[in-house]
Amino acid sequence: MQRRGFLALGGTGLAWAAGGGRRPADLCGCALAPQPAGSNAFGGLRSGVTISGLKVFGVSLTRDSDRPYVFVKIETDQGVVGWGEGTLEGKAGAVMACVNDFHDFLIGADPMQVEHLWQSMYVQSFYRAGPVMGSAISGIDQALWDIRGKILGMPVYKLLGGPIDARGVRGYYHTNASTRDELAKLRETAIQQGVSCFKSGIPGYYEWIETDAKIRRAVASLEMMREGLGPDIDIAIDFHAKTSPSVAQILVKEVEPLNLLFIEEPCPPENVAAMAKIARHSTTPIATGERLVASYGCRELIEMGAIDILQTDINHVGGVTGLWKAASLAGISGVSMAPHACEGPIGGLATLHVDAALPNFLVQEICGQVRPSAQDKIWEEWLGFPAMRMVDGRFPLRDRPGLGFDLSEASLAKYPFGGTRPMARAFHEDGSVAEW
Amino acid sequence: MSMVMARRRARLESVLAAQVAAVAPAQTAALEIDELRLYPVREPVSGRAWTVVRVRTRSGVVGYGECARASSDDLAAAQRFWAGRPATSYASALADSPLAGAIDMALLDIVGKASKAPVYRLLGGPTRSKARAFASISGAGGAGTAAGVKDAIEAGYRAVGLPVPAPAARNQGQAYQLELRKLVETVRSQAADFVLEGEGLLTPGDAASVGAAIQSLHPLWFDEPTTIGSLETLRKIADESVAPLGFGRDIRHAGVFQDLLRAGSLDVARPDILHFGITGSRRIAALAETYYVAVAPRHEGGPIATAAALHLAASLPNFFIQHIPLPAAGEDRAMRAQLAGGDLERVKDGFASLPNGPGLGITVNEAVLEKYHAA
Repeated sequence: MQRRGFLALGGTGLAWAAGGGRRPADLCGCALAPQPAGSNAFGGLRSGVTISGLKVFGVSLTRDSDRPYVFVKIETDQGVVGWGEGTLEGKAGAVMACVNDFHDFLIGADPMQVEHLWQSMYVQSFYRAGPVMGSAISGIDQALWDIRGKILGMPVYKLLGGPIDARGVRGYYHTNASTRDELAKLRETAIQQGVSCFKSGIPGYYEWIETDAKIRRAVASLEMMREGLGPDIDIAIDFHAKTSPSVAQILVKEVEPLNLLFIEEPCPPENVAAMAKIARHSTTPIATGERLVASYGCRELIEMGAIDILQTDINHVGGVTGLWKAASLAGISGVSMAPHACEGPIGGLATLHVDAALPNFLVQEICGQVRPSAQDKIWEEWLGFPAMRMVDGRFPLRDRPGLGFDLSEASLAKYPFGGTRPMARAFHEDGSVAEW
Repeated sequence: MSMVMARRRARLESVLAAQVAAVAPAQTAALEIDELRLYPVREPVSGRAWTVVRVRTRSGVVGYGECARASSDDLAAAQRFWAGRPATSYASALADSPLAGAIDMALLDIVGKASKAPVYRLLGGPTRSKARAFASISGAGGAGTAAGVKDAIEAGYRAVGLPVPAPAARNQGQAYQLELRKLVETVRSQAADFVLEGEGLLTPGDAASVGAAIQSLHPLWFDEPTTIGSLETLRKIADESVAPLGFGRDIRHAGVFQDLLRAGSLDVARPDILHFGITGSRRIAALAETYYVAVAPRHEGGPIATAAALHLAASLPNFFIQHIPLPAAGEDRAMRAQLAGGDLERVKDGFASLPNGPGLGITVNEAVLEKYHAA
């Protein structure tokens, strides 16, 4: 149903594939003749399980949400199904269409060959990376890992060699506490609940070059945080690429005495040398990576020694497969992992499985606060347990096969896809475009 | 109940049963590690030695792996760490332990057996249906080389490792290059591809000259052209020829692969499977993948490690070829075949087949481990 809707909207891109695998004559002379699927080579090595269905769901918690969840469901001929998430903020429709582009490739494939399918989706898509395809592959990959765990009778974290720490996965909540009172109260709650770390954004927007007053204000706000939360709670500060390298290098240097857990995205991600320049000015650990796709996207950051902490997101980097690989190359250079998680509960839960099996794991994000929100209630209503809520500062690991949850299509129906919406926009005083 | 309803009910029940069977957790709760045991073994003629590690869980599931040498102190330390831990937590491995590679193989063997899947499937494969293989030939020069190549080809190989002639002094002249060229012709005349194995014997200057001399003969790669000293030295060798370079013999820390890749001095990453195990090699392969570089694990051990290497090959996208030790003596070959089954190291048309049972897919004959015990 979903897919037909997309074809009707999106044109006829799949038509040749549907017509028996014959390509139309190509005019540039660069297309390969149709070849028997490589999977023919596997014959008796196939697991005996076959993908029989692929569905993609846009799920908007509010009608005008700028980040509807993109959930992927893969069905098999054995009745086992898998769920994954490919939510990409501001680009839900594009990811849904991209997932559907893989429909004909996936139907009939062996879902257990996840590495092989991942390679085929990424390499044979020719253009390789990009956040839209990265998120689509992420959703599909997570669903395939969910299936393989269920078929093999093990939680995904066990297949990956975990848990390294049986107590669970250490995490942090977000906070916007900024006054002395708010911070004191947060500290008290944190100690009660065993939460050991928080992340906060750096206040305000930043011009290319900043004034003495603005820099002092920013540093003072972080000093206030340290004072309010005390020396024994870890503090991470997200610059969210709002700062230019010229401003960031001043800030990372001046907050050095605060011993922050890390500073995140001190500049935008495309220019690794710029990130490295900032990092060289301070011992404050630098974290980045949420916008990177595939292990390939992380190579230069690690090679140049630009970061201390890698934050790839399981919903963009290429699912369980992509996150594990990115973490592997990070680990070889001693870089720690603090995966980003700011979308839906499926990606959140999937990332815990990978975290639990990483020797170089540091801490896991969840874009939620100490106090559960309306979103947490919806997640619990879907999954039957408080997903992505910590106990004693850690996300518990469930001993259930696959990604460890059940989800019904019916429960999602209450939150129909409200369409793709642009993300929020911020502007400077003079109307020029600001990073946020 | 009508017939139709009964039939529908029966069909529904069979579907549900299949689903339940498919998702029922296997006996994973009982995978706590109980006992580790070492079996140092040696091929009777060649003297090639390695250590087999056997891991047993409380529930009696047994897994095997291989490492190089390990002492009883190493065993005691590993036993202290692993006793009571679940076999599934294989990623916790103590990287510093000489047993690490072996324990990784053994735990994956156990997890595979518990989930009734070959290790390659556990790891997301197969990414290929068979694994390209090569065997190194011994026999220095002339007739010895020709016989070695013939032997390998008769054993099913289509590629061989060709050792460089032992250098007589620090600086080789033209005679050395001519001798080398003759050796390569011996291999070529039997239609085999070759890996030129420098074994770290050459000085950097000689290695660069050899690389330049053989590049147009298209070796698969030039392996260990010199010992890894300074990165700049290796970069110079890499710059002075287009022959692909392979390293791994002396690498005990994965960070060295990162350095070589960053410098552009590595074309074939050769993690030692006895040291890095399956998981460590997979991490190095993930790194190499981002440089578009292939993996061809080193393997100087026994058939259990061969099985591990074949599962590794079938779990990687960037695997190229696997070295399989092929002893010259029939007695050594018989020992390997008796240890883990004769089919495992059989090569046909240049490829080894994937072992296809649960875990590593082999049955280890412990009587053979005892018989060839390396005192």
